[in-house]
Amino acid sequence: MEGDLIHKILDYASSRSKFAEARYMDLNVNQVGFRNGEFQGLNFDSERGYAVRVVNRSISMAYSDSNDWTRVKESIDRAIEKSNFDGKNRIYEGDAIKDSWKVRAKKKLEDYSIEDRVTIVRENDSAMGSSGASVRVNSMVDKRINQFYVNSTGSEISGEISRLFYFYLVGVAESGEFEQSTEQFGSSSGFEFIEKLDLQNRIEQDLTDLHQSAEAPRITPGKFDIIVGPEISGIVAHESCGHPTEYDRIIGREGAQAGESFLTGKEFPLKIGSPVVNVVDNPSLGGSFGFYKYDDEGIPSRKRYLYKGGETNEFILNRESAAQLGTASNAGGRSSSWNLEPLARMSTTYIEPGDYKFDDLFDGVRRGVYIKSFTEWNIDDIRFNEKYVGKEAYLITDGDISGRVRRPTIETNTIKFYSSIDAVGNDLEFSAGMCGKGDPEQGVDVWMGGPHMRLRGVYLQ
Amino acid sequence: MSQFDLDKAMNKLKSRGFDEYATELSSSRTEQVRFSRNNKDLYNIWDQSTLVIFASRGKRTVTTSVKDPDRLDSSIELLWGLAGKIPENPSFEGINPETQEGYRVEKLAGIDYDLHDLSQEVVNSSLEAGAERAAGVLYNRTNTIEVRTKYNQCTFTTGGLEVVIRSFKGNNTGQEGRHFGLKEKVDSKKIREIGHQSAEALSLAPGRVDFNPGKYDVLMSPYVIGNLMSYSSSFLSYYSVETGLSCFSESLNKGVSCDSFTLVDDPVDSTGVGYRACDDEATKTGPNVLIENGVLKNYMHSFSTSAHAGTKTTGNAGIISPGAWQLKVLPGAESAPKMISELDEGLLINNCWYTRYQDYRNAIFSTVPRDGVFYVKNGEIQGSVTGIRISDSIPNVLSGITGISRETKNVKWWEEIAASNMPYVLSEKIGITKSF
Repeated sequence: MEGDLIHKILDYASSRSKFAEARYMDLNVNQVGFRNGEFQGLNFDSERGYAVRVVNRSISMAYSDSNDWTRVKESIDRAIEKSNFDGKNRIYEGDAIKDSWKVRAKKKLEDYSIEDRVTIVRENDSAMGSSGASVRVNSMVDKRINQFYVNSTGSEISGEISRLFYFYLVGVAESGEFEQSTEQFGSSSGFEFIEKLDLQNRIEQDLTDLHQSAEAPRITPGKFDIIVGPEISGIVAHESCGHPTEYDRIIGREGAQAGESFLTGKEFPLKIGSPVVNVVDNPSLGGSFGFYKYDDEGIPSRKRYLYKGGETNEFILNRESAAQLGTASNAGGRSSSWNLEPLARMSTTYIEPGDYKFDDLFDGVRRGVYIKSFTEWNIDDIRFNEKYVGKEAYLITDGDISGRVRRPTIETNTIKFYSSIDAVGNDLEFSAGMCGKGDPEQGVDVWMGGPHMRLRGVYLQ
Repeated sequence: MSQFDLDKAMNKLKSRGFDEYATELSSSRTEQVRFSRNNKDLYNIWDQSTLVIFASRGKRTVTTSVKDPDRLDSSIELLWGLAGKIPENPSFEGINPETQEGYRVEKLAGIDYDLHDLSQEVVNSSLEAGAERAAGVLYNRTNTIEVRTKYNQCTFTTGGLEVVIRSFKGNNTGQEGRHFGLKEKVDSKKIREIGHQSAEALSLAPGRVDFNPGKYDVLMSPYVIGNLMSYSSSFLSYYSVETGLSCFSESLNKGVSCDSFTLVDDPVDSTGVGYRACDDEATKTGPNVLIENGVLKNYMHSFSTSAHAGTKTTGNAGIISPGAWQLKVLPGAESAPKMISELDEGLLINNCWYTRYQDYRNAIFSTVPRDGVFYVKNGEIQGSVTGIRISDSIPNVLSGITGISRETKNVKWWEEIAASNMPYVLSEKIGITKSF
């Protein structure tokens, strides 16, 4: 099966519905891993199939991996039957678009041998061993996706995507204490991304930090001025801006899973925090892990300001939630596989850089903590009450770093966090993640990032 | 039915020269309805077949999934070529060669449910019980799984009905998430009962109360203990012990909880959707007692990890990394209402999510309570509490258990709670933190 049935599927479905679309997706995924110096085998998966959406009195979708038309038709017939029951049925149709696109890769995934892949992961595992790690887990995943999207308004869009993802977990035991670090890197590109990462040096530095953090003192809980690193700016942008501005959440579509949003029922624009903060979601950022030219509903991607000047600005919309809002989709419709519905999703979400040089952020911080990175984190289902536990962290005394501290914890809420920001750095770094949402849950590839930022008077535990 | 020819696949793997191999063909039909704000969002229909092949040349292991029967031969050729180019996998000790007898295969078949009607019933019962709006999902799955190895083969059918409903009233929420295997059909009375129960938390408290962080006795609902067991069961996998990421690595035959706490992995209970007659290497499954009367009795094993540990496989493969199928905390002697009435000061927590670890080896975590969090004093609910976390460690939660209810529920919810059967559990001196 190579997607041959897609036009037949669309013709059949659109003749029996007010709006119909079909998507064929072919995913080829390779994964290699090492654990504590031992190779853990090779997995390679080849997934392909069709998704069909029909809109009548309600919306239904059918997913089939069969190349037998009779069987595919049976699933479509069932979807059409179910779409004639009452339910929500608004969907943004938009204009017809015909195009094709592909991710640019200098060192193509298909040109890299399995031995090349094994060598990359083995060398990183060895670097962990040489630096005194007691737990070493490394995994590299590469995937090639070919997708063809058609709909009843006349759109026909094909896309070729290549993505790389590297995950490691490393742990050290020091004087009876244990410290761990997990890091994730990803890009929409070829193997040039992994080569540029200089992972071995990153790992060695991470292990040096873990050894020292394991022996560092805890802070005495209280209020501090804090400087957070790009990794924390990124997770905050993702969790307490990106998720609550997904419009399907705001209108309750994820209510029984990841929840609604603290923005549900509010009037907009709503003040969130300091006017120096802008948060962007930008799927059109080339090379980013969440890059796409068209979303999985055939809408052209663009940069979106979610918070601007400290206020809500734009929501993340797919075809369905855009129709609920009465506007056009802004290309937030993403699906991680052929057999999953497209939902309103983030791509690359980041706090926009400001004017401050890194050193200038420390000016005037008499008693503070610099939290460069985080380990445990979580947030409540309306994306308001959040927690970030520092991984690499230092005390600041009279504007200077004065020693490491262990696992300082921010446990606050979205409004307090964004309102505490008084200075935004001029740097910008991204980290990769798998963002989970939907039922069945689907993880989509995202970047999250930002600059260093200074926050005043934050309670740390 | 699937178009894969498993005889052909097995013959091809053998003739190509692989030393060990296992195939697992999963052919499933699933329907789902999602709803929110009392109205249907989407009806989903899945028709899927996947053949997963695990094969080895010596200790060189490869795994692939095949979707297209026409690509079977080329996929096996590709596997063979790749297996010759990769390092050995020291974790792999072979596929269980012991002939399996007495698979607990039950004669189960798909059950026809009208999910559209059931979704309306569950929403209506939530609204009748006081909710302003409801959101949720219903699944009806039938999955026939055929596992074959060089040594054994087993075919069984699993699946069933899953019902999740969350009720909302103002800022308050309540939730139920239940699962029913293919053993018997669920009637609409049961569905209405679930909808009603999801709204019970909405009216339990007169209002919000201020709350100070600290150590509290916590009565955890089946959903909370289900969540914590789901997120910590990997610590009982011998793979995690070997990796150095288990808080139970030195605990075999030692006390980890109170005398009344028994944790079992029970995949042969077909009243739940986690029913499974064999594991990924065709070892027959059966109840595996992990913690018995507070003592850690066994880890979860595949043939490979059991060889490392010098014991027998428990039927929990994942060939390389074993895991749980369907956990049960066995019921105790208490009644849940009585446990509340006897609570001097503490919390009743109905659900939680987003459980994350800052330290896997010591299982230090936090989780965010939701869907009914109540401060209890002198046996009475004083009010609801927001903005808090359980911030503690799994060993502390287990060792602090002092009471287990006789009521249990088959609970399952999204990615947060794997199919399991759980009671109410009271644990003392649990760390509770809050946002500032």
